[in-house]
Amino acid sequence: MIRQLYGVLGPEGSRPLNRLLVLQCGAAVLQGVAFALLVPVLRALLGPRPDDVWPWLTAFAACALAHALLQGAAIAGGFTVGSRLSRVLHRRMADQALRLPLGWFTTGRTAEFSRLAGQNVIQVMSTPAHLLRPFISSLLTPATLVIATFFFDVRTALVLLVCAPVLFAVQAGSSAVMRRLDLGRDAAIAESADRVLEYARNQPVLRAFGRTAEGHGALDDALVAEARADRRLIARGLPGLVSFSFATRLVFALLLALGVSWQLDGSLTVPTLLSLLVLLVRLIDSVSSAAEAGAGMRIARNTLERLGAVLDEPPFPQPAEPKTPRDGSVEFTGVGFRYTEGGGDPVDAAAARPVLNDVTFRLPERSMTALVGPSGAGKTTVAALLARFRDTTEGTVRIGGVDVREIAADDLTAHVSLVFQDVYLFDGTIEENVRIAAPDADAGALAEAAALSGLDRVIEELPDGWATKVGEGGARLSGGQRQRVSIARALLKDAPILVLDEATAALDQENEALFATAVRALADRKTLLVVAHRLSTVVRADQILVLEDGRITERGTHDDLVAAGGTYASFWERRARAHGWRLAAAPS
Amino acid sequence: MKSQPSETGRDPVSRTPAAPGAGTGARPRPLRELTGPVRGRLAVAVGLQSVAALAGVVPFIAVSEIADRLTADAPADGDTLWPLVALACAAGLLALACGTAAGALAHLADNDLQLALRRRLARHIGRLPLGRLTERGTGEVKQAVQDDVSALHTLFAHTLLDIVAVLTAPLLALAYLFTVDLRLGLVSVVPLLLGVYLFSRAMAGAAAQMAEFGAAVGRISAAAVEFASGIAVFKSFGRGRKAHERFVDATEGFADFFSRWVRTTLVSSTAAVLVVAPAVVLLLLTVLGTVFVTQGWLTGAELVPFLLLGPAVAAPMGVVGPRIQQIRAGQAAAVRITELLHAPTLPEPATPVLPDGHHVRLRGVSFSYDGRTDVLHDVDLDLAPGTVTALVGPSGSGKSTLASLLPRFHDVTAGTVTLGGADLRDIPATELYRRVGFVLQDVRLLRASVGDNIRLGRPEATDEEVERCARAARIHDRITALPDGYATELGTAVTLSGGEAQRLSIARALLADAPVLVLDEATAYADPHSEALIQDALSALAAGRTLLVIAHRLSTVRSADRIVVLEDGRVTEQGRHDDLLAAGGRYATLWNAQRSADDIREGSAR
Repeated sequence: MIRQLYGVLGPEGSRPLNRLLVLQCGAAVLQGVAFALLVPVLRALLGPRPDDVWPWLTAFAACALAHALLQGAAIAGGFTVGSRLSRVLHRRMADQALRLPLGWFTTGRTAEFSRLAGQNVIQVMSTPAHLLRPFISSLLTPATLVIATFFFDVRTALVLLVCAPVLFAVQAGSSAVMRRLDLGRDAAIAESADRVLEYARNQPVLRAFGRTAEGHGALDDALVAEARADRRLIARGLPGLVSFSFATRLVFALLLALGVSWQLDGSLTVPTLLSLLVLLVRLIDSVSSAAEAGAGMRIARNTLERLGAVLDEPPFPQPAEPKTPRDGSVEFTGVGFRYTEGGGDPVDAAAARPVLNDVTFRLPERSMTALVGPSGAGKTTVAALLARFRDTTEGTVRIGGVDVREIAADDLTAHVSLVFQDVYLFDGTIEENVRIAAPDADAGALAEAAALSGLDRVIEELPDGWATKVGEGGARLSGGQRQRVSIARALLKDAPILVLDEATAALDQENEALFATAVRALADRKTLLVVAHRLSTVVRADQILVLEDGRITERGTHDDLVAAGGTYASFWERRARAHGWRLAAAPS
Repeated sequence: MKSQPSETGRDPVSRTPAAPGAGTGARPRPLRELTGPVRGRLAVAVGLQSVAALAGVVPFIAVSEIADRLTADAPADGDTLWPLVALACAAGLLALACGTAAGALAHLADNDLQLALRRRLARHIGRLPLGRLTERGTGEVKQAVQDDVSALHTLFAHTLLDIVAVLTAPLLALAYLFTVDLRLGLVSVVPLLLGVYLFSRAMAGAAAQMAEFGAAVGRISAAAVEFASGIAVFKSFGRGRKAHERFVDATEGFADFFSRWVRTTLVSSTAAVLVVAPAVVLLLLTVLGTVFVTQGWLTGAELVPFLLLGPAVAAPMGVVGPRIQQIRAGQAAAVRITELLHAPTLPEPATPVLPDGHHVRLRGVSFSYDGRTDVLHDVDLDLAPGTVTALVGPSGSGKSTLASLLPRFHDVTAGTVTLGGADLRDIPATELYRRVGFVLQDVRLLRASVGDNIRLGRPEATDEEVERCARAARIHDRITALPDGYATELGTAVTLSGGEAQRLSIARALLADAPVLVLDEATAYADPHSEALIQDALSALAAGRTLLVIAHRLSTVRSADRIVVLEDGRVTEQGRHDDLLAAGGRYATLWNAQRSADDIREGSAR
């Protein structure tokens, strides 16, 4: 666990931890020495000349006081290091988030990241104060006592020396079993938490189909599985815990019996026997606290490992000698992409089939290209590769003639502006959310972005206008309003390349139609890549690319493709049919 | 038709069987209430644990007696010593056995309690009004069912027994020490008393601080969630630094609070730990003991029991701090759980009535989510069997709310909704769901196989029936293209597109075959390929049913039997398309607006 602590603290945070460890080790050893000095003290008091006790008593008192001082410093230091740990960890997690590729932040990882950077860091904070100290003293105090015993009775010391590895092995074995069981239990808890959320979120549909708690078997199965995993933990974990406790009691009983028999055969004096028994009780007491700290240690170690794993993720490679794009054109040459084992989402990695395969196309400067194709064809991946959210597995993406991997991150962001279907707004006003794109934009630019995106009509409808608070994640706005905020901020950024990934899915017909016109006009100024389902947007493109199963199967203008009679033509035909559809009165 | 029921009969609280005494104000013992079924076993565990704690002290007493015998004037022989050694060993084993049994028993009792509580919560949630769930969020449910029940685990399986141990063992130890020497016995209480005093000083104001700590942790979590979900957007605008700053600022605020808190209590809490530390307690006892022995007030052997047991007397203070936190956390969790369990459910009818036919009738219906502003106001509406009724109107006019009253997602605030002459509130839930189906705009698929998702309303349906409905919903071909066909698990390896999910939900409704169907016509997210198929599927679904359609596109419902225009929760117009158009009212305005939008959309295509 100490290794993991150093790992997550990094070089900047390790010095206070060094100091703390020195304090804690010192306190633990001094405690052992103080307990050991009780032996000569007690031997003197039980012996014929009690007045011999004073030098020993002085030494004992000095050690006990020194221990108390160090212990006090260690407790204070534990809190200091704890709060330092939270500062350093929060900052390191935040720094790491900046270095990681945007593609790393999948839904699952985002949730995990926020859990780690939020609650988990705070749980870890208490480790130095509440776990590390008992852990260190449960190791070093007994070790000191065993060594000290050699000065009083070699036989007793040898017995302890033989027992120590046994106790250690029992404890380690029990911990290992518990750790394995914890993993199974964690999985069961995650599954049942997931089912509980599913159950709560899906109440309308579950009820509409007559499925409440009794009917939703998956939930009950998950709850039962969780209970079973707990039972397994009790049944399989208990033997380990009992055997450690049994082993410590056995050591005590063994030495008590040996001591009494050695006394009876005259090889051990009464004062030494009694003072060694006092020492033995201290030793057993110190060792037992190791078992008590066990559960907390396992959880802390687990959390630290997960934090370490995120902090050790390799950062996105940045060019050593960055080049600047010559213009706003985009070129994909033989681009392939598949999720790699380590870096991809677990779900997609399992599929392990290429998402994109030999994709080659060119977006000329100041032109509009539409990317169409069924869901899952890889359209969003094309957009993500263009903005270098991820790196290609094969082929090259070039902007203005330069490989995106050779463009500095800031320069690349300045060149590409994106709007996604999933809109993220932070808790603030509409204006703040739009202005993150360009904090210094003047009122004219803001008004123009609002007019183009249709946000101006939203602003008019809202009583607080630009100052409207959007709420957490934009929850106070409707889907269509949120989408227009995100379009407006992408326009305000005024990058030469604009990527719209199903940017209008949540807009109603009127706004969508108006925006489609605005987009066409933008193509005079920008390179546009539009991923769209609505053919009303698509028909106006200079170039249409049809993506199916990760390959480009057709390309051309609307008229060309309709005439060709391929996939696009059948899309178009279906679309026309859908538009002509009517819900007829049912025959009675 | 059933007469208007009395007001009191509708009081949700009085008709909730699961909530005896609900609404009577504060329930002072939520913990007691929750542990009911396992209290017997917990009591046995507590008993065993006290035996274990007492037995745990006995070996030390036995060693003290050995010391006494060994230092007696007549040297001890094996016959007097071995029984004491045996006693020490036996007592140690007894302590181990009883302690293990107590722990196992408490864990098993808690295990049963957890499952029972989670099931009880799930059942209760299934009967809560939906409004309550959406308004408080699903986070509350997850908190209660998972986190709070787990907090109770810590309390019952660990804290309870720990507390018993730290309270009983010192009592026996102290009693024995008093019999050895009263003066030194009194001295050995001093660290404990000092510890209590210092600890209570450290804890002064801790409740307020703990509350602030909890709030600070909440803020950090919220900041972390915002940071993680927003980082991609911020970075794509080249403003990653800004998000970074926001998050780091929030965490600095927390670290400052924590440092301040630690500083104010550090001295007293450190002192509280130190005065009960074994080395310090032994220092006190040894120094005084040495004085006593050298002065001849005490024999050396009489000092031995104090050195053996003295640290154990003071030890409880060392563990009591974290336990107090756990007890508080457990109590708070129990309060939240009982609150949820006492939340009034949708009342089940006292005298169930079965509908006669499928005519839906709304009379004077008003509805309010918050009890102040009406979302629906005095709505009268008839849905005759075999007809299509379309609800149109601007967003926010109450269309979805009105539709949600039919499957009784909410109960009306005033007026009545009847199906086949029976008030919805008098129809048993299972009977109602069999008759009223619902295809929601926001399609929800469960993490289950495709087949089970379709079977949702009729778990016993055969594979042939499922396939027939999937074909009718135009989703069969897509399903057979999935890796495992109908057995493919959704939500893990495979995610369906919005349009596919919608067709699957239509297949589900087809299989459930309810005669009355509420349909949210929403195809906004569908790609054109899906859109055409969805509308084919909807046509299949509409045949022969009583249909209420929430319409977004007027062209779709042009030929409905009746079009109802809702504005601000009131029905302002109703009739057939041509009549409404001729009347030149609100509907005509909406129709013309959409026509021109369509022209813009299709303009360059023609």
